[in-house]
Amino acid sequence: MAVSPLIPNPASHAAKTTDATRESEVNSAERSPYKPNMKYSSHVTNEREITEQLNDDVRHKYIKDKRLGEGTYAVVFLGHLRTDPSSFVAIKKIKVNAEYKDGLSMDAIREVKYLQELSHPNIIALHDVFSSKDQNLNLVLEYLPRGDLEMLIKDTNIHYGVADIKAWMGMLARGVWFCHENFILHRDIKPNNLLIAADGEVKLADFGLARSFADPYLNMTHQVITRWYRPPELLFGARQYSGVVDIWSMGMVFAELLLRVPFVAGNTDLDQITKICEAFGTPNEDNWPGVTKLPNYLPADPNHVVPLQGRDFFFRQFPTAGPVGADLLMSMCTLDPKKRNTACRVLQHGWWTTEPKPTDKKNLPRKIDGIKKMGADLTRRGGEIEDSTFKNAARQLNFTAVRD
Amino acid sequence: MIEDDFYRTSSQYRLWSFTTASLQAQRATTNAVASDRVRAAIRRAQEARRSATSSATGTPVPEVDGSTPNPAKGDEKAIECLTPEEEQQTVSYYCEQIIQLGEAYKPPLPTIVRATAIQYLRRFYLTNSPMTYHPKQIMPCALFLATKTDNYYMSLRQFADGVPGDTTAEDIIAPEFLVMQSLRFTFDVRHPFRGLEGGIMELQALAAGQGPPAPHLAHTHTHTAESLQRALHALPPPPNAPSTSTSSSSSSSSVTDRIARAHHHTREILKSAAQITDVYFLFTPAQIWLAALRLADPPLAGYYLDTKLGGGGGPAQPSGEATPENILAVLRPKLLRTLADCAAMLQAYKPLASDPERMKTLRRIIGKKLYHCQNPEKVHLGGAAQKRIPAAALAAAATTTTTGGVDSGASESEMERLAKKRKLETAAEHSGSKDIFGGELVMQRTKER
Repeated sequence: MAVSPLIPNPASHAAKTTDATRESEVNSAERSPYKPNMKYSSHVTNEREITEQLNDDVRHKYIKDKRLGEGTYAVVFLGHLRTDPSSFVAIKKIKVNAEYKDGLSMDAIREVKYLQELSHPNIIALHDVFSSKDQNLNLVLEYLPRGDLEMLIKDTNIHYGVADIKAWMGMLARGVWFCHENFILHRDIKPNNLLIAADGEVKLADFGLARSFADPYLNMTHQVITRWYRPPELLFGARQYSGVVDIWSMGMVFAELLLRVPFVAGNTDLDQITKICEAFGTPNEDNWPGVTKLPNYLPADPNHVVPLQGRDFFFRQFPTAGPVGADLLMSMCTLDPKKRNTACRVLQHGWWTTEPKPTDKKNLPRKIDGIKKMGADLTRRGGEIEDSTFKNAARQLNFTAVRD
Repeated sequence: MIEDDFYRTSSQYRLWSFTTASLQAQRATTNAVASDRVRAAIRRAQEARRSATSSATGTPVPEVDGSTPNPAKGDEKAIECLTPEEEQQTVSYYCEQIIQLGEAYKPPLPTIVRATAIQYLRRFYLTNSPMTYHPKQIMPCALFLATKTDNYYMSLRQFADGVPGDTTAEDIIAPEFLVMQSLRFTFDVRHPFRGLEGGIMELQALAAGQGPPAPHLAHTHTHTAESLQRALHALPPPPNAPSTSTSSSSSSSSVTDRIARAHHHTREILKSAAQITDVYFLFTPAQIWLAALRLADPPLAGYYLDTKLGGGGGPAQPSGEATPENILAVLRPKLLRTLADCAAMLQAYKPLASDPERMKTLRRIIGKKLYHCQNPEKVHLGGAAQKRIPAAALAAAATTTTTGGVDSGASESEMERLAKKRKLETAAEHSGSKDIFGGELVMQRTKER
């Protein structure tokens, strides 16, 4: 298990004891079958292909219980290990899309591809993948029964303070850092993709829009990240971008945790740009060299030019964060992506070590019944917002355009 | 957390890295299991045919007409299966075809997509035998899957248009689930290309005097940006240097050119030899590109390693203290040995298509031998009737035929049809047709060029 070297995470060891037994079983079964005991397939049965046998072995490890949620894209079940009824998992069954004739959908491929590679306390664990009889793909995911950050933000009965925010943001920052260290962009960070484990640990979920960093000069699509969390360079149509797109989203989550409402919530992409400019300042060649060359750049209305906001704006706007916290937030919401902090720089910021200390995760505010929410979160496609007005905001990936 | 630790969490390390012995054992097992099943399946097919014949006529008549081979004769003749080596050659051939098929698209599919597809195919055939699933059915599917996993999106229709022959979109997508399952749902392949690009950028910076010494070597003061630049310019020319650079003026442009040439040559090795040999299974991406660079320009590769490992002064001090120098002194010979092993494997590679003798052998293996030991119960994989063939259903079909008694009429007639088809095709083969195996698509194109 990898833990960020930059911020000690003393609680994570204690937390893992609950998971440890389950994980060791999953892993030992998953990692060994090729090596010396390959022969079993020829002895046990002579009828199944080796890979089918392996698949059956994996499938047999779990028992599906009740259904937790259903979306257009997937159904999520509560499940447990056959050998240990108390070790819960979430089994996400990807629906076969009848309209999509090209095999397994890109969302499912991305999610499986990246979760297979990422093993970190702040990223939802993919324990196993197996196929069921009807040739559906089943992802065995970590069980995260305490809902998500969106739930906590919206629930007015829940009170939380800056120490709690520091704990949540710290866990988010470590998860994002780990993705970027592995050259993976998440591209859909938002409160309802930040799920909460039984022990209070925040886990980054939904990798349906993720991709590896493109090689230099190769284009990527700009139609990613749910609008309210989308950085200005993507709104301006940038085709080459870096991990700091996720940092902007993190900054928006940070602001939302502080304000308890989304900070810049545009109704359209254009509206989103306008709101960002009003909040942070109007981009120009001085504060963001190259911005006017971006494909969808729109010159600002000369009567509505807002000067670039400085530190004191953030102090005023986010007093609860304190001056050091406001400085961190500012470094995450810098318009010019080149000047925006990287995940590594975010982790090195002084805010984490200034008072108050982050809340111990077992003492973090929590909702008791988040299971339903997990079901809803895991069945959603990346980029979707429940509110139908914004449905599929980021989902319409223009694949043909990616390649020119 | 160091880079090695990251690599060890990757699926490539966890599931797809082997020792030479474990890789060989894996292939031997796959081959043994598949051979047993092929023999059993062919015997069952013969049984089925015989019982069909006898039930049709009411009396046990061995032969009705020429379309049914003499079953007695078939029983006597032992079924000759492919050896693990022959399987490997067959797979290598189809890997080379992926390179060519990718080239045929307009624009050509990116190198990375083709490389990923090749590794998919190679991983697939660690647990499956070409006798069970013919590579000509699996190959296009692996390539299409790679376009999806490597973000080079094209529709299946578009992709199918680029596949020569009468392969339909349904044929291509039919084995997708089977392929994914065999890949154990791990789609990420760590390639050596990006490491090479980084190394070349570093070398270019060093040549310009802008390469700071490695942090763990800076304190020795033997490495400075200037000394590194001087050393790079003073390197002896590569043994295989083109004669044009005989002027040997150590101008900065000639060093830049040299790096560019080494870059190009290394990339070519990574695109070909690194894909078709076993190096991905046995070495890490960093080891692979460094070994390839050593083949392209040995002095340059040695120099680059020295900037990291500090020149390899003396042996490790017996005091055993964990000083950086001591650690590097232990590490260095180990790394060089590994790189030498990897380089030897890369160097031994010769493209199959360039070797008429081996092509002849291969044609015999794929065209005749594989043809006769193809598992008859798996042939209908790409059948037009089925859309997506559930691996489980396939296996279930196999089970029903085996557990005997419940043989459905459909599967019998399927066997009949296959037997007829085989007979017909065998005739075609003898009449001198060259299109006896799936290789036709690329073989003809190669000839045209």
